[in-house]
Amino acid sequence: MRHVIVGGGMAGTSCAEALRILRPKDEIVLISEEQHPLYSRVLLSDYVKALIPRERLFLKKEAWYATQRIEWLPGLRAEALDAKNHFVALSDGRELPYDKLLLASGGEPKTLPDDLRGVSYLRTLDDADHLRQLLSERTKTAVAAVYGSGFIAAEYLDIFSHFHLPTTIAFRGSWFWSKVLDEPAGTWINKTLETQGIPVIPNAPFLGLQGDDEIEICETGAKNVPCSILGVGVGVKPDLSWLHEAGIETGCGTKTNEFLETNLPDIYAAGDGTEYFDLFSGTHRRAANWMNATMQGRVVAKTLAGERTPYRLVTSYASNLFGIEIIFIGDTDRRHADETILRGSVEEGGLGYLFLKRNHLVGAALLNRNTDRMPITGFIDRRIEIQRKKELKDPSYDLKNLLA
Amino acid sequence: MPKLRIKVDPDLCIGAAACVTVAPETFQLDDENKAVVLDHGMEPEKRTYERVVNVTEEEKENIILSAQSCPTLAIFLYDENGFQIFPEI
Repeated sequence: MRHVIVGGGMAGTSCAEALRILRPKDEIVLISEEQHPLYSRVLLSDYVKALIPRERLFLKKEAWYATQRIEWLPGLRAEALDAKNHFVALSDGRELPYDKLLLASGGEPKTLPDDLRGVSYLRTLDDADHLRQLLSERTKTAVAAVYGSGFIAAEYLDIFSHFHLPTTIAFRGSWFWSKVLDEPAGTWINKTLETQGIPVIPNAPFLGLQGDDEIEICETGAKNVPCSILGVGVGVKPDLSWLHEAGIETGCGTKTNEFLETNLPDIYAAGDGTEYFDLFSGTHRRAANWMNATMQGRVVAKTLAGERTPYRLVTSYASNLFGIEIIFIGDTDRRHADETILRGSVEEGGLGYLFLKRNHLVGAALLNRNTDRMPITGFIDRRIEIQRKKELKDPSYDLKNLLA
Repeated sequence: MPKLRIKVDPDLCIGAAACVTVAPETFQLDDENKAVVLDHGMEPEKRTYERVVNVTEEEKENIILSAQSCPTLAIFLYDENGFQIFPEI
C-alpha cells in the first residue's frame, strides 16, 4: 500500500508518524513545499524576537524521515490530481501514483494586491527570516504598521512592541476579530492598544502601497499610514483550484465528512486547509490551529490504516494581547450559533461570549476568563444540554459545578 | 510500574492545550492558562508543574505523545535514572 501525503506541516507529518506505527510495511511519501524539516509555526514570533535560537524551532531532524522510512520530498508542490487513475503531478514534472492520498497542504496567507520591500507576512520560517532581516536593517527613524485584525496581526503587534518600534494598526472591520466579538470587547481591545501607544485605525479598507522600491505609505480608506515595515495578517486561504479541477468538493477548504474523507474515493484531507464536518456544531467548518492539525493528522492515519475513525475534538487557540488573555474554543463563527450568551463584562475585567446551537454550547470566545476554558470545553465535548442559562450568564458562578 | 518524572516549563507553555487533549489524566490548565501536572487525574499535596508519577507502559507512551504534541516543546520527560526521554537530546 502506498500512501501519499501532500503537505509536510504538522497535519501531514503527524499523520505520517502515526501511520508508520500502524502500518509498518506500507510505503509513505511526504511531499513538502518547504525545504525545512517540520518546525513549530507557533514559535516563529519568539524566533523573530531572538528569544530562541533557530534550531529550537525544529520538531524533527532531517534524519528522522529516513529512520521512519518516510520518503520525504522537500521543495516540491503537488500541482494536479488525476483521481480516476490515482496519481498526483508534482512541480518537478513527476507523476506520483498513490493508493491513498492525504491532502494536508494547509493554507497560504492572503496577500495584498501590491508588494514592495518592507511588506511582511508571517506564515513560514522563510517569512520569519525575512522579517528578522527587515528588523535588523531598520533605521533609527523606522516606523511600523500592521494591517489586519486577527491572531497574526496580534503577533506582529507583539513583535514590533518588543523592538520598541512605533506602530500603527489599521483594519477593515471595527475591531479585532469582528466576526466573533461585538462592540464591548472590540472597544476594550482598541482602547488597550491605544493605551500602549498604538494608534488604531478601524474601518480602513486597503487601497494600496506608496513607495519607490521600499514601502513608505500604506493607503487605506480611512487614512494613509506611513511605515517602513508593514506586517500583514489578513487571513489564510488554501490553494484549492487544482483540487476543484480534479472534481474534489471545496468550499473555504477541502470539504470532508467527519471521517476526513473527501467526496472522492481514497482521498482524504486534514489540517488548516480542511473544511470538515464538525460533529459538535453540525456544520462544515475550517479550524486553523495547531491542535486541530496535530489531531486531525493522527485521526486520519487510523482511517488510512483501515480503522475508519471519526474526528471528534474540541480544539482551542489562545493568545495574549497586551495583558488580555484571549481564548477561542470550538466553533466561534457566530453564523453557526442561534444564540449568544454574554458572560461577565469589561467593567468586571473579563468577558465571555458563549455560542449555542439548539441549547448546546458549540463554541466560546473568552477574554480574561481563563477559568471558564476547561468547563466550557467539557460542555461542548459532552454535548450537555444547557437547561439553566442563568448560571452561564452569572460571571461569578463556577461552571465546573454544572459539569459535576 | 515505571516511574516517570514529568515537568512543564511554565515559561515555555503558551496554553495551546494539546497535552490536555491527548493526556487529560496527566495535564490540566491552571488559571494562568499553563499546563500543570496531575497524577492520574488527581493533585495530591499541591498544584505543581513537576511530578513523579507511576505509569504503565501504555500510559507512558500516551504521555510521550502528549509531549510531542506541544508546539513549544514545553514538556520534559525523564526516566527513573534521570535520563531525559523527551525532547530527545
